[in-house]
Amino acid sequence: MSARERILARIGTAIGNHDAEIDAYLVEHPRGPAPALRDNLITHFRERALQLSSDVIEVAHPGEIPAQVAHYLAERGLPPRGACWPVVGSLPWGEANLEIAVRGANSQDMVGITGTFCAIAETGTLMMLSGPETPPSNSLLPETHIAILNTRRIVASMEDAWDLLRKEHKAPPRAVNFISGPSRTADIEQTVTLGAHGPYRVLIILVNA
Amino acid sequence: MRVGLFVTCLVDAMRPRIGFASLRLLEAAGCQVVVPENQTCCGQPGYNSGDRETAKTLALKLLDEFETCDYVVAPSGSCAGMIRVHYPDLFRDDPTVLNRISLLAQRTYELADFLVNVVKFDAAPGHFAGTLTYHDSCSGLRELGIRDQPRALLATMPGVTVKEMAEATTCCGFGGAFAVKFGELSTRMADNKCRHIEAAGVDAIVAGDLGCLLNIEGRLRRRGNHTTQVLHIAEVLAGNEGDD
Amino acid sequence: MQVSSIHFKRSVTEKLNDEKLQNALSRLQTRFVEGRAAVIGEIADFEETRTAAAAIRDRVLKNLDQWLLHFEQQAIARGALVHWAESGADVNRIVTEIATLHNVRRVAKSKSMVTEECGLNEALEHAGVEVVETDLGEYILQLAHEAPSHIVAPVVHKNKEDIADLFAEKHQLPRKTGIPELCREAREILRPAFLAADMGISGANFLIAETGSALIVTNEGNGRLVTTLPRVHVAITGIEKVVPTLEDVTTLLRLLPRSATGQSITNYVSMLTGTKDAADHDGPEHFHIILVDNGRSSLLGGDMQSMLRCIRCGACMNHCPVYQNIGGHAYGWVYPGPMGSILTPTFVGLENAPDLPNASTLCGACGVVCPVKIPLPDLLRQLREKQMSLGLKSWQEKLALKLWGWMARRPAVYAMVIKITVRILHFAGGKERMLHHLPGASGWTAGRDMPAPQGKTFRELYRQRKLS
Repeated sequence: MSARERILARIGTAIGNHDAEIDAYLVEHPRGPAPALRDNLITHFRERALQLSSDVIEVAHPGEIPAQVAHYLAERGLPPRGACWPVVGSLPWGEANLEIAVRGANSQDMVGITGTFCAIAETGTLMMLSGPETPPSNSLLPETHIAILNTRRIVASMEDAWDLLRKEHKAPPRAVNFISGPSRTADIEQTVTLGAHGPYRVLIILVNA
Repeated sequence: MRVGLFVTCLVDAMRPRIGFASLRLLEAAGCQVVVPENQTCCGQPGYNSGDRETAKTLALKLLDEFETCDYVVAPSGSCAGMIRVHYPDLFRDDPTVLNRISLLAQRTYELADFLVNVVKFDAAPGHFAGTLTYHDSCSGLRELGIRDQPRALLATMPGVTVKEMAEATTCCGFGGAFAVKFGELSTRMADNKCRHIEAAGVDAIVAGDLGCLLNIEGRLRRRGNHTTQVLHIAEVLAGNEGDD
Repeated sequence: MQVSSIHFKRSVTEKLNDEKLQNALSRLQTRFVEGRAAVIGEIADFEETRTAAAAIRDRVLKNLDQWLLHFEQQAIARGALVHWAESGADVNRIVTEIATLHNVRRVAKSKSMVTEECGLNEALEHAGVEVVETDLGEYILQLAHEAPSHIVAPVVHKNKEDIADLFAEKHQLPRKTGIPELCREAREILRPAFLAADMGISGANFLIAETGSALIVTNEGNGRLVTTLPRVHVAITGIEKVVPTLEDVTTLLRLLPRSATGQSITNYVSMLTGTKDAADHDGPEHFHIILVDNGRSSLLGGDMQSMLRCIRCGACMNHCPVYQNIGGHAYGWVYPGPMGSILTPTFVGLENAPDLPNASTLCGACGVVCPVKIPLPDLLRQLREKQMSLGLKSWQEKLALKLWGWMARRPAVYAMVIKITVRILHFAGGKERMLHHLPGASGWTAGRDMPAPQGKTFRELYRQRKLS
């Protein structure tokens, strides 16, 4: 008998006869209780994202993004260079004197630019799906992560985000990453310090399309 | 209404005046109080030390003594919690006793809880004048939800000012046998409690359980504090009529 | 990990007198206890969510084999390999074999308490594989050769001065004093370790049966790095960590960070399913999931089963007045605090941790904060009952309990004995009405006085009054 069989046998003996309704439960996948939101989705999302130390900028048209990014980077003395996902590769970055390469980020990149699958108002969280066109490295390796988010893609809860995933994709991709602000640690003296192993800052650009 | 007073073994032996204070309060509230004279211990020491059989025997003894009462009241959240919460657990596999014991459990109250929620008593005859802080004893707080009741009763007393201390709901370190088995740890917990009491700058520390009070008083005096009074809620509410 | 729970009492004395530890522990109380209190209010009906979470965990345990099989099937369908480990030794063997198979020299590891159970790092190093812990706290402990003292904040027992000294010595860099500078230094030292690692090892907070995924919550981002950069990822977790659906894991995620660190959500929640596609820029080529029993299945169907609901948030220890005063090391194994006082004797044997079930006042604070409603005080009490029935209690304690029980059943004897005892103690208390020494109760009187009894029992006085 293998370890697998022995473990399963032990479990089976311990829990005795059971009437498993696993398939029915998976089909139903009921939701648990979720808190109601006080404000509209965009207001709530922005408020929570700011609480989690993300920076938030709103623009009316995608064309305004490069200038806003250039301003944000310059204000913080950050280099005007980085790597972005293809989905935002066609923005006029050069017009704002930015050198943005369309590729997955590496450890030398100081700025990573991404789109966002959707965002969750309840917690101010970005939901990112991995894929050839959406490499997770861009939101992970550089010290600055800039995420572009269409306000129509803000949903109320993580449950709503899962439904969107189920609707638009057959199955989850290799990595689903929920990002809620810059990386942080409180391991030393329980004092929160931003910028542990991931980005030091997260800029969310809301596009009111 | 016929109320059985369960004085508890600790009050019986150490501080009878708390028993008399409880008696006076219940009578002032219009209850017909009976005190079964063969009562001893609710069985909690055994129960919490792993001696379930002894606990069951003592539970049955208490059931026989108090079953005819409309209510059972104890000046202790810990003993009332034992009866109300844990007695039914003791007999979970014994349906005949379980039924009787559950009915008794539902009629069992800690004193302050009973005064506020059952008899709606608000005329405490005590005459304490000064500031005091209330320590929330663990079982009363977490098993019986006793927090506002004693404070509401104290608020009806014109001479009393309640000042909340830090960490009022943190355990004082008594824990029955724990206080002796892990004396050092228990003493540290009591010491933390004493620091918060002293920081509150009050004339008296009040609680609803004598175990906590003995622990707190013992540590306060060893720390050299001989001024802060250590009182049971019943003593404050009923006043002292020479029960010593 | 070596079990030293047998030395609990001795360790308590040491910890109570460790001033630095005492300061460190007071920080834990402010950050985590007050932090939790502040964020649970965000959920209007927190109790309803706790009840739902407990039900989710119970649903899993009721059909654990079925859910594990479904998980395995889904994970394999997505290209992961699923291994089953009965013991810590099994885990070490499997991971070493995976390392050999993929020609692994260097491992970057994110925090996993299960691997602490197994002593995995030592096993890998013995096999010639270099392991770097990348969670900041675990990294500090690896440098200092110490064990974690908290399951969420492993290095809570150290202050920043200790860490500054340690870094200066081990990194051979100028000593930093600010916490942000220390964090920056660790980041810069560890980034190359992530990039050079052939294999990433992580735990998994949850396994999702519906999708065959492993889900990890982290704040630092090291969990993302070790599961994104190396070509091999090994996720190691207990068999009880499976949950049915994405909705179920969402309910649990509303409680886990709030209960653990007082956060509404952790910075990163990563759900990992299968391996990278050829076209992917990043992600591991090989994904191994190790399902660890190591004693867990023995809790099923017994009176400790509800302990398997545990989601390892640490709220029970944060709120435990015993843990708050002694920290985690005194408990002597991987898991401290109330959950540890149940898991340690259950996993390593009651006889090896006789004090742990008793080292609690049963104050109930752990039970009321537990996000999955584990009746921790009841479980502690049941372990005490087990000690009694297995004859693991001292004869003095057994005798005292039996004597008390015998007396309490005999009101006349009881009345007589108590009457005499309180007279003696009353007189011993003198004018001060205070006992400074009490034979047989030095545990009490070493640090406290015992207020003397009034002198007569309530029952005596009551009878006198009725007669008068």
